[in-house]
Amino acid sequence: MPKWNDLQGRSFLESNARDRAVGLVDEGTFTELAGPFDRFYSPHLETLGEAVEFDDGIVTGVGRVGVTPVFVISQEGKFIGGSVGEVGGAKMVNAIRLAIEFHDTLAAAHPDLTDAEKPIVVISFETGGVRLHESNAGLLAHAEVMDQLQKARGKVPVIAVIGSKVGCFGGMGFVAAATDCIVMSEFGRLGLTGPEVIEQEMGKEEFDSGDRALVFRTTGGKHKYIVGDCNYLVADTLGAFHDQIAELATKSLADFEAMRRIGSPEKVAQQLRGVALAAEMQPKDARDVWAHAGNADPVALTDMPLPDFLAQVKRLSV
Amino acid sequence: MSLNTLTFSVKGDAGAALKAPVHHGVVGSGDMEVLMEPKAQDGAVSVSIVTPVAGFDDLWKRVLQTFVSQSGLSDAHLDINDNNATPAVVLLRLRQAMTEAQAN
Repeated sequence: MPKWNDLQGRSFLESNARDRAVGLVDEGTFTELAGPFDRFYSPHLETLGEAVEFDDGIVTGVGRVGVTPVFVISQEGKFIGGSVGEVGGAKMVNAIRLAIEFHDTLAAAHPDLTDAEKPIVVISFETGGVRLHESNAGLLAHAEVMDQLQKARGKVPVIAVIGSKVGCFGGMGFVAAATDCIVMSEFGRLGLTGPEVIEQEMGKEEFDSGDRALVFRTTGGKHKYIVGDCNYLVADTLGAFHDQIAELATKSLADFEAMRRIGSPEKVAQQLRGVALAAEMQPKDARDVWAHAGNADPVALTDMPLPDFLAQVKRLSV
Repeated sequence: MSLNTLTFSVKGDAGAALKAPVHHGVVGSGDMEVLMEPKAQDGAVSVSIVTPVAGFDDLWKRVLQTFVSQSGLSDAHLDINDNNATPAVVLLRLRQAMTEAQAN
């Protein structure tokens, strides 16, 4: 395991799931739960003759940021594209369940806890969604994670961090959208149907998945920040993500509720205004939306260094 | 079609025993992971490999023998999950795991 101080300066994009889990919390505080030595691997892959991994591609554990207990879930994109199957899904579900139970026990014993002392959940997404090899078990795992998110709501804030190579797509795109807060780097990508799938189904005319610039300005962190699909945009280092989590850890439940994208009649009305705007504008490119949001030179935003971008970008309000 | 499990033992002689168990690697395409655990068995290093590829049993043995004689590892059990890693990658990951184990 690399030293924590070295990890803080390391690229989030290029790190593996375990290094991310260790680096997202404070130095020396991470304890892995259901780790590789417990050997919870997929029985389905074994039957199919596919390679297995001892942690089923998902690292779960608990650590601390400042005085905040943090339950960490970190997906590994190199193992079958970060797909979520039965075992990995169960690990996600139980990490969130543990956080809720811990919150309840803690709140019962200490009724005067501050916001910072209450536990949070951090999920690092690197996935294309359901592991198709495990079909229904994988789908069910998604539903169970959503169920836990609903149970955690108003109790344990759930923060999504997305800055990985694979990004966050498919069923897990829905899961990320249902969290309380999303933190991305400009290299993170978030969506439902991935670029390759759109091209395969609708043709190259509709979406050219080989056009990296197009892919990133449609699904990448900068675009998601402008349209409000992510709450915070940070630099591509583990330290930047760690510091953002430290800042969020002290926020109140009301602050988190305000950062959500779904879950109340007001949020639904806001989403519908977004749909109406899209129908009216008929944007041909993400840059049309950026210009509509008030950015005079949308082309310049793409290659702009992050501090300059954050200083001058106008975000869409509907 | 199912996964192949190879189990064999390599004689270790130098006596570099592991202090603590170590895990290293990610089962990406062309890659592997290994769990190394201390296990007293008269210096021997036992190995269990789970791999989708069949027909390379001798090659696996030679790579593991090379690793054990170079590193001087003894009295240990290795669990490997392989996903079509080449011999060079296998040797590299085992060495990295060993370095990590000694650093801890």
